[in-house]
Amino acid sequence: MIDGVTNADAIPALERLMQFAGQRHRLIVNNIANLSTPNFQPSDVSISDFQQQLGQAIDQRRAQYGASDGGLALASTDQVEVSEQGMTLHPQPVGNNILFHDGNDRNVERTMQSLVENFMTYRTAAQFLRNRFDLINTAIRERV
Amino acid sequence: MYGSLDISTSGMIANRTRLEAISANIAGSDTILNQDGQYEPFRRRIVTLAAGDPSGNSDQGVHVASIDLDNGPPMMKYEPDSAFANADGYVGYPNIDIVTEQMNAMEAQRSYEANITAAEATKSMMSVALQLLA
Repeated sequence: MIDGVTNADAIPALERLMQFAGQRHRLIVNNIANLSTPNFQPSDVSISDFQQQLGQAIDQRRAQYGASDGGLALASTDQVEVSEQGMTLHPQPVGNNILFHDGNDRNVERTMQSLVENFMTYRTAAQFLRNRFDLINTAIRERV
Repeated sequence: MYGSLDISTSGMIANRTRLEAISANIAGSDTILNQDGQYEPFRRRIVTLAAGDPSGNSDQGVHVASIDLDNGPPMMKYEPDSAFANADGYVGYPNIDIVTEQMNAMEAQRSYEANITAAEATKSMMSVALQLLA
């Protein structure tokens, strides 16, 4: 019964986005902690792959249930393992920078950029989710 | 997102240890006697970092794997009147280069600040998530 309320419009997709951004934050923070570690390879997951998977799941949901109903069936990839409650990330080495003398191919600027962009994505998804919940709250209270 | 503060803290601890070793090297750059008063030139401390955090039982983060002593030859200065001169009149001093230590200190400081930035981002994300409830 409650599924009809909690699976309304954009809530499932926003939840998945928040889960992904929260997990990815750990990866980026680990890369920052290991900026000076010899023989360390910074690792990350592919954002475009996740966006594609999320887009496909949204399209599938729209085709199956209509515009704003039904659960979101996000498929697992080899980098993003999706379960009922959350997701687990399996990162790959990024390797898009020169290899320094200590065997570390860090890219400080890209890592900091990833940190900021990931945080903005998380905050945006959280604010949209807050907005959706406020709407449900308004409907429950029957007062605008 | 859970455990992100642990990772940033481990990075800060490792870089602070690096900075302490560098401070010890700079302080002992002219020391040729050990604490018992015998002739033993100060040997440079070299800090080696490794990924993972054994104290937190995690494979994320960073820790100091070892603090080794430099095995290089001491810097020989010609002081024939010194009590510690060898047969040729040279005394061995620590081979610590202040400029190298200062460059390492700058890098350790920047890594420390990067970890603080990451910890601030974690704090902001957690407070944003909490706003969903209130």
